[in-house]
Amino acid sequence: MSRRLVLGSLGLAAICMAAVPAAAHHSFAMFDNTRSVTLHGKVNYYQWTNPHAYLQIQADDGKGGSKAYTLEMTSPNMLHRGGWSSRTVKPGDEVTAVMSPLRDGQPGGLLLVLTLPNGKEMLPGVPNAQRYKITS
Amino acid sequence: MRSLSKALLLGACVAAFAAPASAHPDFSGTWERYPPPGEKADPRFAPSVIPDPDLKPQYRAEWEEGQKTLKKRLEEGQPAGDNYVHCIPDGMPAMMMGMFPMEIFQRPEQINITQEAFNQTRRIYMNQKLPNWDEVDPSFYGASVGHWEGDTLVLETTGIKDDVRFRWTPHSDAMKITERLRLLAPDILQDQITVTDDYLEKPWTYSYSFRKMKDYKLQEYVCTDNREYVDAQGNQRIHLEGNGGEH
Repeated sequence: MSRRLVLGSLGLAAICMAAVPAAAHHSFAMFDNTRSVTLHGKVNYYQWTNPHAYLQIQADDGKGGSKAYTLEMTSPNMLHRGGWSSRTVKPGDEVTAVMSPLRDGQPGGLLLVLTLPNGKEMLPGVPNAQRYKITS
Repeated sequence: MRSLSKALLLGACVAAFAAPASAHPDFSGTWERYPPPGEKADPRFAPSVIPDPDLKPQYRAEWEEGQKTLKKRLEEGQPAGDNYVHCIPDGMPAMMMGMFPMEIFQRPEQINITQEAFNQTRRIYMNQKLPNWDEVDPSFYGASVGHWEGDTLVLETTGIKDDVRFRWTPHSDAMKITERLRLLAPDILQDQITVTDDYLEKPWTYSYSFRKMKDYKLQEYVCTDNREYVDAQGNQRIHLEGNGGEH
């Protein structure tokens, strides 16, 4: 099932982002915004908590195995205003996620785009999203 | 008896007109920062520029040093302060420009203002005397009283904790925050803030603007799984394994 998704245009992303305020709970400096990594796999958990929601994906490692990646999202109130709910994804869903990886090398990052099983692209409303390069 | 009835009726009418419930504007509802990100403000309603606080020399050097750090953090897209990282509320006066919508709940004798971030709520008691600062246990929102001056709601607050700081500005226990809230348009609310304190050469004044939101309901914001922390080098890090939101 290993496959890579290359995101060309983020025009839709820009439109959806307009609804979300550019505010931050904390620094996003721990994420490498110069590159992105695309993950494909099944959802281990989707946690609707403050100060951040989290999504963990058991992603293909390209070698026939898999690895758990923990993705930080914005806060539930911001996600809600951006069209998400606590039921947008569930464990077992097969998804594709684009993230800015953690600089410290831990398996995780900041979620930038999530493609749901039905093909719908969801944006978590990252503040100043234009600063995060999508290179994957 | 007729004259007594008339007198009573007259009295009731006088009372009704002396203090009609609609004498003051109603600020009830949900408000967002104005202008919201990405929108250009109508110059009539734009908030003021926030000047630097005119701190006395003995407090200024420390503040300027802090501002260098703060400027760097802002350039990196970090928030203006540490409280949020630790899931601690803004407190006053920063909560009046908290990052999410706020709700005003207005009754003649009390007005509550809730900022969605961290569910922070301040309570303002109307037509009461402001306690002296040393009669108040310092807190995030302090002790607040209010009264109306025509269409303007005047709020006075004191008793803010030493470590509850706006833009990293130190203040004394006796700091007083005076606010004047009024509608600039039916859906635009302005809050003129004046901070007076012995630490300042002169009062620190600026204004915020808010726009009324239609049908927005404030959401819950309780921190149950804060995975961020600051390491020994002062960098923000994350524990990838959380607690699942259990608390």
